[in-house]
Amino acid sequence: MGKRHIASAFAVSTVLVASLGLAACGGSDEAGKTADGKTVVTFWQQQFEDYQQAWFKKQVDAYNSSQDKVKVQIQVVPADTWAQKLKAAQAAGNAPDVATTSYGNIPAGAANGELAELDGLLPAEAFTDIKDNVKSFVTINGKHYAYPMLVEPSTVLYYRKDLVQAAGLDPANPPKTWAELSTWATKLTQGKVKGMTIASVPADLGWSSWGLQYNACGHLPVADDWSKSVASDACFGQLLDFYKGLYQSGVMPKQPKVGYADGSPYGNGEVAMMAGGSWVVGQLKNEFPKMIDKTAVAAFPSMDGDQTKPTATLGGWTLSVDGKSKVKEQAAGFIGWLLAGDPAIMADFFKSSGFSKYTVRATVDQALETNPDATADPFMKTISEQVVPFGKAEPAYPWEIALAFGTAIESAMKGNADVPAALKKADGEINDIIKKQSLAGTAPVR
Amino acid sequence: MTPRLFQRTASAVLVVLITVSVLFPLAWMAIAGFKGRNEVLRSPFQFFPDMWRFDNYVDIARDPEFTRAMGVTFAGALIFTALSLVVNSLAAYAFARLEFRGKRFWWVYCVMPMFIPMMAILLTSFMVVTKLGMLNTMAVLIIPGVASGAQMFFIRQFYLGFPVAVEEAAMIDGASRWQIFLKLFLPQSAAPFVVMGIASYLAFWNAYVWPILTITDPNLTQIMQFLGTFRSARGNDWGMLMAGSTLASLPTILLLLVFQRFIVNGVRISGIK
Amino acid sequence: MALTPTLAPGPQTADAGRSARGRRGRVKTPPHRRDNRTAYLMIAPMVILLGIFVMWPLVYSVYLSTYEINFYRGSTFVGLQFYRYVLESPDFWHSIVVGLYYSALTVPAMIIIALLLASFIKTLSRRAAAFMKTTVYLPTVVSTVVASVLFVLIYQDEGVANWLLSLISFGPVNWLNDPQLALPAIAVPGIWLGFGLTTLILLAALLDIPESYYEQAALDGAGFFARLWYVTLPLLKNVLLYLFVTGFTLAIQMIDLPLIMTNGGPSEATNTPNLYIFNTFRDVTPYATSYSLTASLLLFVVIGAISAVVFRLVRSDKAIDG
Repeated sequence: MGKRHIASAFAVSTVLVASLGLAACGGSDEAGKTADGKTVVTFWQQQFEDYQQAWFKKQVDAYNSSQDKVKVQIQVVPADTWAQKLKAAQAAGNAPDVATTSYGNIPAGAANGELAELDGLLPAEAFTDIKDNVKSFVTINGKHYAYPMLVEPSTVLYYRKDLVQAAGLDPANPPKTWAELSTWATKLTQGKVKGMTIASVPADLGWSSWGLQYNACGHLPVADDWSKSVASDACFGQLLDFYKGLYQSGVMPKQPKVGYADGSPYGNGEVAMMAGGSWVVGQLKNEFPKMIDKTAVAAFPSMDGDQTKPTATLGGWTLSVDGKSKVKEQAAGFIGWLLAGDPAIMADFFKSSGFSKYTVRATVDQALETNPDATADPFMKTISEQVVPFGKAEPAYPWEIALAFGTAIESAMKGNADVPAALKKADGEINDIIKKQSLAGTAPVR
Repeated sequence: MTPRLFQRTASAVLVVLITVSVLFPLAWMAIAGFKGRNEVLRSPFQFFPDMWRFDNYVDIARDPEFTRAMGVTFAGALIFTALSLVVNSLAAYAFARLEFRGKRFWWVYCVMPMFIPMMAILLTSFMVVTKLGMLNTMAVLIIPGVASGAQMFFIRQFYLGFPVAVEEAAMIDGASRWQIFLKLFLPQSAAPFVVMGIASYLAFWNAYVWPILTITDPNLTQIMQFLGTFRSARGNDWGMLMAGSTLASLPTILLLLVFQRFIVNGVRISGIK
Repeated sequence: MALTPTLAPGPQTADAGRSARGRRGRVKTPPHRRDNRTAYLMIAPMVILLGIFVMWPLVYSVYLSTYEINFYRGSTFVGLQFYRYVLESPDFWHSIVVGLYYSALTVPAMIIIALLLASFIKTLSRRAAAFMKTTVYLPTVVSTVVASVLFVLIYQDEGVANWLLSLISFGPVNWLNDPQLALPAIAVPGIWLGFGLTTLILLAALLDIPESYYEQAALDGAGFFARLWYVTLPLLKNVLLYLFVTGFTLAIQMIDLPLIMTNGGPSEATNTPNLYIFNTFRDVTPYATSYSLTASLLLFVVIGAISAVVFRLVRSDKAIDG
């Protein structure tokens, strides 16, 4: 008996030792130094369009070879797993030193202590170069928590000049009001081509309608100090009616194949008009070059035709330094070099984006003024003159509030609830969120 | 004669019908790999590409990152499958046949993990593997998933059905539990092992979130991580994704062809005779 | 033939504590010696691995769920506050209902299809069976992402599904954007992806049933369904229990298909529990982290409780035992 047990114990421990041995071997230590004594700065980039990955990689290589003190290690993280990967790393205490952070996440990140203050790490001149409206996006109580990279209007109108002409409409005179837009969409719905596409699921409506929420009411469905919901304001009813009309009149595809951020149905010629972010310009240039000549952009129509009202939020990305980073100085040094340094670096970025994103620094604007590609770009002129100046910051309140309002728009569109009922439900949900998350009075001071 | 002929024809028709309906999506995926980036999603539905382009397949097959990811994932999946069959079948045998103190407690302990949603332990299990220094190793991909309640449960259900008479005879002959497990049970476990082995292999092969969390070393990039690079909210590279998915499914299909024959014979009876 | 009496499913000795069920089994049970040491050694690898990578993280998660988690400024103890928030949330319960509905749509259908297929494959010649075994499994090698996209295309206004409907002059149907239809529409690829493994499992189990049982039943004049009911199903009980429990736990945790195909819509009709949890996790606030962690722990309780009921039901089913 004893002998057999020894044999069996041996077998079991072999398995265990093999498992643990596997665990031990190759456990490379990500300590802060490379073999040749350079300080390692880890950098996580959320995955965007292909050209962005290429550009970041190129610049990181350039930075690493430009000096011999710091080595930046870039890691591309898919958007669908970003939150999980970042929070897991924060929990385990190995969050990246530098990360891409959206404007909307800065206030919460700063409040949690996740983001390091950059004043003192970057020279003061770096911040004076940032345009005033964008500066407020990264500033909380007078401190800077991230360095902005770009802004992208969330909503502009794209339309097919050829189809517009064929439908007897004037391509030089795009719709100015929501009513005109609906008329256009109806006239442009011909056979298999739908007149229009716009977001129709809550996850997309939640953020892509912010600009139009401002347009309809002059404010978002939450009081400015986040003390209560104002979602049942009558003006939001008109917004829901607008979405509902587009959906129920059959002028837009009812089963979208891709999300709002992806412009490929327009590129494939399945729709004549599209509400889309400015980044779709880049997608069209890269993937659907034949569409460029047939396409025009305009500011998205306004509820009452007033073109100075906001129609878009200015989303966009920044680079931030982790609050617990052990190499804050080096991390900020890299950010300063990439985003706040030689204007030619960022000018190169905007060029590779096909001018589908907009600059945040005066000196980069100057650098682009001498670039013939930029000055000749028809889309850039319209968007930077007619959309960006009226664009609003993305709200900093929790995503759940945006989602509750997006759900209200959806249920109006799909006829699951009439408009007042949908708004009333959202109103109750938002008040509940405010209560549970103790939001009243916590709106960040920008 | 005629009813038999009828039966055979009916069988043949059924085989063809099932095959077509099952293979249609697979064929669509393989053919979509010949389409352009944005041709895949085009409406109305189109099965064949406008023009057969081979660049997707050629580009991926030539990409050293792809071949490395395939190799690393394949090796990991094989080790993972073997280890998990060893660990889980041992426990399965104990739960199916042995009486021991606290058995009910340990049974619940071992089966319960089946019911735990991944999100419930995502952060904390990541903290554990970080503490153990397992990040960026093959071990972090393999070890945490080896013990599987579901797999143990399945093998145990199979072992429950094994006849006890032979076992009794062997024990009268003085065989130990270990010998019975090794000499009587294991040889008859081919079918359940193949079925569960395939499931384990696929679970490893298709893992996406866990590798993204734990692996940053490009030398250890897993195949689903690699394919993920063709996806983005701002437009997926569908052609590449389909070509890559098709190529990535080949090793699995090959393994299936090799191992399906173990699910033929009810080995049990012949083994006992 | 002499062996057949002992080939009946052995007693389910796993839960030694229960004697109520043991009476029939006891006759065939070998004289049990207590094998504590051997048993502990055999389960040790599994117990240790689960302890490190599952149980400890679970305990730690439960501990964390009593805090509002902030990994930078320190967490605040809030007791059971988040449990109350989750339990009060109609969206959470709605997602559980969606998950249960999805399980009800997929699991029985998958098992029935798989059982028919497996029975059919068993009747085939060796070569045809080899071919079919590989074929039915092929869908499983297609990733969920690819399957989702394909089915989104199939469900388009001018897609294959509506074309088929038009043959019987019906439709077109707005598959993915009708709250009544969306979940059933998603269940189809769910079944399609899962029935391969189920078929192989059932086939392996079917092949394990000695032919002599069927011969005996045939002599007694039993038809196909009588044989299925009186011979096959009782002998498949062990495996069917497994298929129901694992099928259910996988189905209620489905996330990829609704995430890609409908994003939980329309009107949250396809907002499965894990998709709901995934979406509540997204904010960078401590609240979001704690809330989604608590919701996933409560989902665990729901799955565990329902599975416990299934275990009990299958075990006490007298019709099968008799």
